[in-house]
Amino acid sequence: MEVDLSKITLRPFKLEDADDFLLFAGDDQVTNYLRWQTLSSKQEALDHIKDVCIPHPWRRSICNDNCSIGFISIFPFSGEEDRFKANIGFGVAVKYWGHGIATKAVKMAVPQFFVDFPDVVRLEAFIDAQNLGSQRVVEKTGFQKEGMLRKYAYMKGKLRDMFIYSFLSTDLPANP
Amino acid sequence: MEVTSVVQLDQTKAKDECLNLSLRPLQVSDVDDFMVWASDEKVTRFCTWEPYTNKEDGLNYIKNKVVPHPWFRAICVDDRPVGAISVSANSGNDKCRGELGYVLASKYWGKGIVTRAVKMVVDTIFVEWPHLERLEALVDVENVGSQRVLEKAGFQREGVLRKYFILKGRSRDMVMFSLLSTDYQS
Repeated sequence: MEVDLSKITLRPFKLEDADDFLLFAGDDQVTNYLRWQTLSSKQEALDHIKDVCIPHPWRRSICNDNCSIGFISIFPFSGEEDRFKANIGFGVAVKYWGHGIATKAVKMAVPQFFVDFPDVVRLEAFIDAQNLGSQRVVEKTGFQKEGMLRKYAYMKGKLRDMFIYSFLSTDLPANP
Repeated sequence: MEVTSVVQLDQTKAKDECLNLSLRPLQVSDVDDFMVWASDEKVTRFCTWEPYTNKEDGLNYIKNKVVPHPWFRAICVDDRPVGAISVSANSGNDKCRGELGYVLASKYWGKGIVTRAVKMVVDTIFVEWPHLERLEALVDVENVGSQRVLEKAGFQREGVLRKYFILKGRSRDMVMFSLLSTDYQS
């Protein structure tokens, strides 16, 4: 399958994306390393878009030719002490893996996010030690690997080792 | 002359190691001892809080934060509190993880007290909290003394987290350390 990376864009989710959303959010392979429960019906997809995606502080649909094939979520922490930090997560439908789509999407998302949330200084990603694909995405987009956090948290009932990566607002290339 | 000073040094070291150290809950009646370290700006340098200036605040802290805390102990020398050590708890998917913190009156620095106290916590926390898999600690990159405590207590240094924390208005890089229940067993 050919993918034209120039057709990959980011935009907010719409209720009309529900069928496409279910294609990736209903797939265990995509949700394996996410905290989401795999969705199992169009109604659940509609509810998730309405209750989670749309009110989310910064969630975008990754689109191929304006058709939703994945998501990027960046969540600033709440509370006075933590507002300067945020956490990134992403996922792409399996049939589109291997084309550099997530890498392109993260490369577009990160600078835009720092513009939208100027108080955030540190963007971090927690990536399962076995999730090599996502590790490559964040490394290619300029995140710095800081270390491996052993037995850091439970994910879908199993205790996981996670790599912690960060991208600081000061890591952005300086404007000419 | 040289022989005498070597003997004196050895005696000091032996005396420090013999210090009668214990951990027990910190109570409202300990407030005067608490104020000794809590009002010292050398001690609070890497703490998020400013030195305490009045006993009323100290009493409130002990009543409202210490007493209900999931795991908080006074570090005592001859049963008098000279510092404190605590482990925080998390819930849900993060329940496997607890964060260690400690503080010691500056007069008692350099005697290995905190290292011994950390070892005492490690000896008991995984038994008291069987769901705990990972004890972690975050230390400012400039707080070398505290990093040495954790290394001596057997913690593993996992990496430096950049601008992880805001301390008194400034971003700080923090070193992440951890000790797993499986590290402790082996």
